Amino acid sequence: MTIQINLHQPPFSFLAQEQLDWLIQRLDLVFFHAGDVILNEGDQTPGLYIVYKGVVEETDQKSTKVYSQYANEDIFDVRAVLESRCRHKFTAIEETLCYLLKAEDFVHLLDESDDFSIYFKTDLGTQQSMVEQKDQSTSEFILSRVDDDVVRPPAYVSAQTNLARAAALMFDKKNDALLVRSGKDVGIVTGTDLLKATLIGDKNKQTRVVDIAQFNLIHVEYGDFLFNALLKMTQHQIERVVVRKDGEIIGLLELMDMLSAFSTHSHIIAMRINQATSMKQLVSASKRLEKLIETMHGQGAKSSALMELITTLNRRLIQRAFELIFPERMRSAVCILVLGSEGRGEQILKTDQDNAVILKDEHDREAVRPLLLQLHQALLDFGYPPCPGGVMFINDSWIHTVDEWQSRVARWLDSAKPENMMNMAIFMDAEPVCGNHELFKPVKQSWQGEDLRSSIVSSWFARQALQFDTPLTFLGNIREDHGKIDIKKGAIFPLVHGVRSLAFENAINECNTLERLKIMEEREILDQETAQGLRDALLFFIRIRLKQQLDREDMNRGLSQELDINKLRSVDRNMLRHGLHRVKKFKQLLTHHFHLENF
Amino acid sequence: MIASWLKNKIPGQMPPTGRWAHMAEPYDGDEVVVLDCETSVFDKRKGELLSLAAVRVRGNKIRLSEALDVTVKSNAPTDPNAVRVHYLRREDREEGVAPSEAIERMLDFIGNRPICGFYIEYDKAVLNRYIKDLYNFKLPNRFIEVSEIYVKKKNKYRPQEYLDLTFEGLARDLEVPVIERHTAIGDVISTALMYIKLTRE
Repeated sequence: MTIQINLHQPPFSFLAQEQLDWLIQRLDLVFFHAGDVILNEGDQTPGLYIVYKGVVEETDQKSTKVYSQYANEDIFDVRAVLESRCRHKFTAIEETLCYLLKAEDFVHLLDESDDFSIYFKTDLGTQQSMVEQKDQSTSEFILSRVDDDVVRPPAYVSAQTNLARAAALMFDKKNDALLVRSGKDVGIVTGTDLLKATLIGDKNKQTRVVDIAQFNLIHVEYGDFLFNALLKMTQHQIERVVVRKDGEIIGLLELMDMLSAFSTHSHIIAMRINQATSMKQLVSASKRLEKLIETMHGQGAKSSALMELITTLNRRLIQRAFELIFPERMRSAVCILVLGSEGRGEQILKTDQDNAVILKDEHDREAVRPLLLQLHQALLDFGYPPCPGGVMFINDSWIHTVDEWQSRVARWLDSAKPENMMNMAIFMDAEPVCGNHELFKPVKQSWQGEDLRSSIVSSWFARQALQFDTPLTFLGNIREDHGKIDIKKGAIFPLVHGVRSLAFENAINECNTLERLKIMEEREILDQETAQGLRDALLFFIRIRLKQQLDREDMNRGLSQELDINKLRSVDRNMLRHGLHRVKKFKQLLTHHFHLENF
Repeated sequence: MIASWLKNKIPGQMPPTGRWAHMAEPYDGDEVVVLDCETSVFDKRKGELLSLAAVRVRGNKIRLSEALDVTVKSNAPTDPNAVRVHYLRREDREEGVAPSEAIERMLDFIGNRPICGFYIEYDKAVLNRYIKDLYNFKLPNRFIEVSEIYVKKKNKYRPQEYLDLTFEGLARDLEVPVIERHTAIGDVISTALMYIKLTRE
């Protein structure tokens, strides 16, 4: 049969081939003149319409309020089929051709296919993760878990075993690590430990293994994502972790075992960063990061996992640069802060550098300045463009002592000026990455006082979330400008800043938006549905933005906030519309909560 | 002899009998059947049936889910000119059904509904040739020519205008998508859309 629409995209791609073949046999083709009413409020719909050509508008019965528009390959109206009654009016506004899948046939497919049914009956988040999974092309690595395939059974020795015996055991069992039992404690000794102890150190064959074993084991839980294990190895610079199940050690997970399944080599990049002894080596390691993002995105890595990994690696990069530039004695004189999206850990492709410095002592300022300039140059070389607003530690207004920072924050919060509120917003997401972390605590406390939060300052602060319109008002559909929208202004900023405002008001210590939302849900600041909806929406926005950014060729593609609506698949367009509606609703919630109507 | 020859020439003078008798009854439903045949050569006397497609149209709805789309098993030599149009090689036709079965299914499908098509005279002639051989009657149904409705409509509003009466010309003017041109089912869908657009205004 000649069906002129692409059925190899979600939700139809969730169907098995024979179900799809069956579906194709069940479609009718319906024509509507411009102005024809397809469904009225209260109507029973004959089935699901899939637009082949033309445009259909969803309105209330009087056509005063437009809810949505449907064009090529969009589907309407699932709710009318599932609830057996139509809530709105659907009108063809151009000559329109639709395929019609009869209600009973649609219901039959829902019964037949779990994936298909879950897609239609669940919220945006589940839909998105299904689509993300479906998008994967090659490696399943990112979604695989720590299970028997990768876990090695542990080999134990007693504390009294001597090194010679331990070495023989390792050789026998082809294990590079042994677990050491010492009373109730369990430690680990590796081949490298043996070598170091005997060849470099002063230990000999008769030394007891307990004397060189390490007892602070890093572990992952059985069933955890492999990805998390990799993250832990990267963070702790180790090559194996202990696997636990119900509190018991059940085995070891070796980096080499994982690497064989892992083609993107993020750990290798991390190693290169750690081992770099010159700025040149660091720059070449940083160049690989972009490639890593492309590969992992291509492999269908989840945006949240990708953000976490890239944040970890980016911070290591800055830390290493810091170590190379700052002589040891100067390191505790400063605390380097990353701000904005970098501070929140929500950056994937590099955006402008937003950073600041806390000085321990004012009289170090002149000594530190040339070092900071070098660090700034290093960041430029890594590919962080300079901040057009000058939010950088090379500028005097972003390098202060603890006292100065405290009074500066107080001054920001004292004036209702939007630019000061934006400074506060960017500074509030600060995260110390190198130097003396202790310096940051008293600074952070300066905006977490009880008196501040209950004051009108919270409202001034929150108001910034409303400065851009949600690109939805036009006909209740996505309002595009020549097929494009600014995804940051229209969606991400209001969401992130709204969450930040609530975090400000409630003195939530976390910076990451997803983490903040989780805490708000736990503390019942937001209800579960809202928090979950916002998390899903944010991850979705970040995912489609990344996808289009990666398609660009320019140097600073991470800065591009332009989203081309026409390049989205219809399923993504639908989800974008959903997500934008969530943002709009959230803005209404903020307006109400912070009494912003009065401003 | 002459009487029977005359009888053959006058429409309705070879009415269906027996199993097909109901086809001659007046139709009081609201459906039409849009139909198209592809033949081995473009000749209504010699062209052998290669494929046959039909859909029922009711109001603005094309009942694709109940469409008839059959390929006919035919040993007719593949005409190099025609095959570029219908793409049915001998190998493609191997899978097909016997002409008698195709005709039988088609007669069941149309019943006494009006039959509509683009240049339907040709399809009518080919089908009647087969039906006459098999069952000794001719299609008693009402025939609707899409291009004729088009011409009437056009002349009513703009009598002097030059009209492009090719299939593509009609499709372009009526803004109907041409779907897999020259597959029987593709042409049927496009023709059905033309019919709907011309009659539902």
